[in-house]
Amino acid sequence: MDYFSPHTYNSSLSFSLVLNPKGKDKSFKFLYLLYMDLSVLERVKWLQQQQMVSPDFFEILGSDGREELKRVESYLGNNNDELQSFRHYETIDGCISRTSSFQIEQVKNNEENRVIALQHKRKTEGKTEKIENKKKKKIKTEDETESSMKGKSNMSNSETSSEIQKRDYIHVRARRGEATDRHSLAERARREKLSKKMKCLQDIVPGCNKVTGKAGMLDEIINYVQSLQQQVEFLSMKLSVLNPELEYHINELSTKQFQACFTDLPEAVSKQLMMVDASSFPLQHQESLDYSVINSIQTTTLGSKDQTSSGWEIHSQSLYNNLRTDSVSSFFSLE
Amino acid sequence: MASADKPINTDVPEKDVFALHFLQSLSNLRRQNTFNSPEKTNDRVKKIKKAAYVSMARAAGGTNRLWSRALLRRAAKENNKVVRLPRRKKRVTCLRRRRSNRRDPVEEEEAERLRNLVPGGGGMETSKLMEETAHYIKCLSMQVKVMQCLVDGLAPK
Repeated sequence: MDYFSPHTYNSSLSFSLVLNPKGKDKSFKFLYLLYMDLSVLERVKWLQQQQMVSPDFFEILGSDGREELKRVESYLGNNNDELQSFRHYETIDGCISRTSSFQIEQVKNNEENRVIALQHKRKTEGKTEKIENKKKKKIKTEDETESSMKGKSNMSNSETSSEIQKRDYIHVRARRGEATDRHSLAERARREKLSKKMKCLQDIVPGCNKVTGKAGMLDEIINYVQSLQQQVEFLSMKLSVLNPELEYHINELSTKQFQACFTDLPEAVSKQLMMVDASSFPLQHQESLDYSVINSIQTTTLGSKDQTSSGWEIHSQSLYNNLRTDSVSSFFSLE
Repeated sequence: MASADKPINTDVPEKDVFALHFLQSLSNLRRQNTFNSPEKTNDRVKKIKKAAYVSMARAAGGTNRLWSRALLRRAAKENNKVVRLPRRKKRVTCLRRRRSNRRDPVEEEEAERLRNLVPGGGGMETSKLMEETAHYIKCLSMQVKVMQCLVDGLAPK
């Protein structure tokens, strides 16, 4: 408790106000806070800004501190420029957690001790900000028991906190009656992430809007994936039946398709597909082709419901029609 | 770890990319001598199906997506080939993370089914699984469209 007795305030004299933002030198920052004379005002303002003020701290400050605070109230109203300078310290936010923990460490308060012990584990900035907002909640809930002065400082806290929130960490407000320990906060964050992703999935999978709740949606998703996989299998069966035709037509089909769709495929790639293996097409296969042709006629009358008339498909149809007159007629002549 | 909101990226390349990859794989298949015999239809079906999946994996994710990596690995294993996939920054499976991050047994029963469906689902955390599922669904639907086009285009009228 040595640090908090009033005389040590005076004894900690001037040293450089250079905050070492990235330094891990806790004591340095702490001493900055102890820097007396005018900068006490700034210090307290800074603390209020970072919502580190707790009722115990006020007790520790002693009566002079309270007077200072009263001054601060008026000061805050008049001159906000000095406050601005504190906001420019970007990494103060990161440092705060350590400083606050260091300060309040001496406080014999069970809740805060737990929080501080957690803070001391040097979690990421995001997490510590969560915890500090937890404290904000505590501060707010303690409003009833506090003096009006404290109430005013809370107001200023909320104002400045909104400024801070515009920076890039996430504030998680712990609601009343909810557990505020680290695990449940992490759990809640994880659940929110999951629900966000489920919403994404809901947009993709058709027909998910009607079903509510995670279980039903997951069922829908699973059914959809299964149906897509079955469709792939079915289409590959169809393709295997059509395959001999595929062999002959696909080369010309593909190159013309791609050119027609004005894709920026390199010429080399499209020419790669231009392998003509019509020579490996003996008569024997042409006989089997008849069967395949008949089969494909039967099979393609089924399920073509999902046809969207995109340019790609239209082109393929038209191109195939062009080709048919040349080559397929020769197949049909075998019948 | 609470991070700032990153938009979840489920972009999928255009149909042409899928079509190109699929046609390339089909033309590779055709080069095999035993491919066109009408007797072994089942083999052909299986090969075409595998070609479809592999080409989808290559077209869509390459090696950037977990499910595509798992698919490619699985396919390579069947051919007894060794696939060297470049290492990602974060480890794909981290066992310690598995235990701590996956909780909530009610959720896990359903997630289990999804894990069986999506390739590579076993090693993922549940939230990552959701992302991968979304991308996988998009790619699958694109592939189905390509194949449908092809079938319709080639079917004689």
